[in-house]
Amino acid sequence: MSLIEVTDLRKRYRSTTVVDGVSFTIGEGETYGLLGPNGAGKTTTIAMVVGVLARDGGGVRLAGRAHEVTSLATKAMIGYVPQEIALYPDLTARENLAFFGRLYGLAGRDLRRRVDEVLDVTGLSERSREAVSKYSGGMARRLNIAAGLLNRPRLLVLDEPTAGVDPQSRGAILDAVARLAGEGVAVLYTTHYMEEAERLCDRVGILDGGRMRAEGTHRELVSLVGAGDHVLITVDGAAAGAVPALERTPGVTRVDADEARLELLVAESRAVLPLILDAVTGAGCAVRSLEVREPDLEAVFLKLTGRALRD
Amino acid sequence: MKALTIGLINLKRVLRDRSNVVFMLGTPILMILMLGLLFGGSREPRLGVSGAAGPLAERLVAALAAGGAVQVERVADAGRLRADVERGRLHGGLVIPQDYDAAVRSGGRADLRYVSLGRDWDAIDLESAVRAAVQRENTLLRAARYGVERGAGPFGERLAVVSRAAGDGAVRVTTTGEAVIPAGLGAFVFSAPPTLLLYMFLTALTTAIGLTQTRLLGVSRRMYASPTPARAIMAGEVLGRLLICLAQGLLIMLGSALLFGVGWGDPLGAAAVLVVFTLVGGGAALVLGSVFRREGPVITLGVLLGLGLGALGGTMVPLESFGEGMRRVARFTPHAWGYDAFTALVRRDAGLLDVLPQVGVLAAYAAALFAVGLWALRRSLVRG
Ligand SMILES: Nc1ncnc2c1ncn2[C@@H]1O[C@H](COP(=O)(O)OP(=O)(O)OP(=O)(O)O)[C@@H](O)[C@H]1O
Ligand SMILES: [Mg+2]
Repeated sequence: MSLIEVTDLRKRYRSTTVVDGVSFTIGEGETYGLLGPNGAGKTTTIAMVVGVLARDGGGVRLAGRAHEVTSLATKAMIGYVPQEIALYPDLTARENLAFFGRLYGLAGRDLRRRVDEVLDVTGLSERSREAVSKYSGGMARRLNIAAGLLNRPRLLVLDEPTAGVDPQSRGAILDAVARLAGEGVAVLYTTHYMEEAERLCDRVGILDGGRMRAEGTHRELVSLVGAGDHVLITVDGAAAGAVPALERTPGVTRVDADEARLELLVAESRAVLPLILDAVTGAGCAVRSLEVREPDLEAVFLKLTGRALRD
Repeated sequence: MKALTIGLINLKRVLRDRSNVVFMLGTPILMILMLGLLFGGSREPRLGVSGAAGPLAERLVAALAAGGAVQVERVADAGRLRADVERGRLHGGLVIPQDYDAAVRSGGRADLRYVSLGRDWDAIDLESAVRAAVQRENTLLRAARYGVERGAGPFGERLAVVSRAAGDGAVRVTTTGEAVIPAGLGAFVFSAPPTLLLYMFLTALTTAIGLTQTRLLGVSRRMYASPTPARAIMAGEVLGRLLICLAQGLLIMLGSALLFGVGWGDPLGAAAVLVVFTLVGGGAALVLGSVFRREGPVITLGVLLGLGLGALGGTMVPLESFGEGMRRVARFTPHAWGYDAFTALVRRDAGLLDVLPQVGVLAAYAAALFAVGLWALRRSLVRG
């Protein structure tokens, strides 16, 4: 059963419709990615889901209850990591966390323990008594996430939590999110990095111009594009000799040869790969290298919107 | 409860910054000290006298100098006198007409001319002292003249008699009627209330920046994402500002009382004015902190309004020295009403009931500011 059901969300600013009928559901332990370019309406959608922005239409149900901007009981179940570093820069990490912890009803020893825990999870324990303004961008991002974990949320909502961080911090953030999902937390994750969506999310919704263009697992979305995988092979000597055998191989839909390079289009590379290798070696060519390229969300996005995901 | 948490974090942020503490604690006390020394007349004000030098004129000069409250200095002519007053070497000048002795003796009229810029405490102090002395001398001269007309004796003798009868022979300078500064009050009594108003309002407005930051950083939105109702967030942000403004007021009140012995008058009255002015400051900060989407205008307007309204409201230069028109304009500032109330409490021994009109006007200011401020804050919170 889904933990959260979002139906037909709508938001207008003056005459422009910024979110236009967005619906999705997320189950416990599931990670759902909202993928879209700048201005797609990700943050606006998330703000309405979290309940910090009044919506113009649609509904949100969380754990079977209607969730509104005034629903304190359901707000208590959500951990929110905003796109911006929403912390007091002049206070220390610990002071910030203690403050937000109190707003979630924590106090005394419970509060201290939970602050220690989230500092530990985000790897900030050592520098918890420093002012946030002294933090590096990556550390501030991690603290921003830590503040969203204080209430042990059942739904964790992260709005581009890796924007502007180094690859190492990004890896740590993605790992932490994956671990939480593993513990049963439902995760709503927005990004305009398709690699993150591919790596982290069980299901992805592609948002553009306030509309949900497509939704599904990575595989499902990729199948929308219709194309199979690309297999690139380099051989010793001329590759042309292997073409007839490859064209006869079941599952291979197209073969191009260019000197020592072969480029194949195949339906399902995992199943066909052994047959391809047999065909190439059977034609007397020695394989020097082989590369499989699966179509990615970038390609899906391009196909759906006619534009690249990132400018 | 959560409102208190939010209020206290605001207080913590302000006190965390050392420069804020210096600003809130040190500079107002310094300002009281400086204004006190500058305007409070720690030395006797200097009065220049030019013109007639007959015995009766000298009598008047002696009367002015008697009591030691005024330092009298002879100046060669009226032109010099005027120049010295304009340059600030003298706080005021008295021109005695050449026919003074003759006119007075014959029971006629002598027109004295008083020259003053009237723009600081010393000048105001001096003017009232001169008025009082002249008035008293006038009374004695009339009495002597009356005796002469009744055939009681020559003018000189009659004057000596009535002077003896009136007091210690020489004339004492006593301020009567609408004296601005009653005798026996220290200089700081005049500088402390305006400084209190100026700083309370200025400090309150600086807290607007904190609110704008909280909104722009997304911290208020994050608060709203937690199980905290909008009204608790608003109450907390308001409370934070009121606490800071009140702390500033109390610091100045207690600091000036302890360091300079300033008495703030009727405790109930002073508390009432302090509280409503806190509400005005907090309300202004709420409006300023809630309406803008950038920090720049908040800082600029905060300083501009804090200093501008303060100056206009008589907290830098005494309200009493304003001209009619400016005084009417000053009425639009909350400072002027606070100034009035504190003046009554501190200098005229007024009580809570006497300052109720001023307290009422300030409360109306606060109510209007809160209506606008809460509306704007709520809008920024829920509408994004
Ligand atoms: N308060 C507002 N008033 C008017 N328009 C707004 C407001 N907030 C957002 N918008 C507009 O709504 C659209 C969607 O914005 P949103 O922030 O949801 O996009 P996003 O997908 O999060 O983009 P990004 O990747 O840049 O964060 C944008 O065109 C933006 O200009
Ligand atoms: Mg966004």
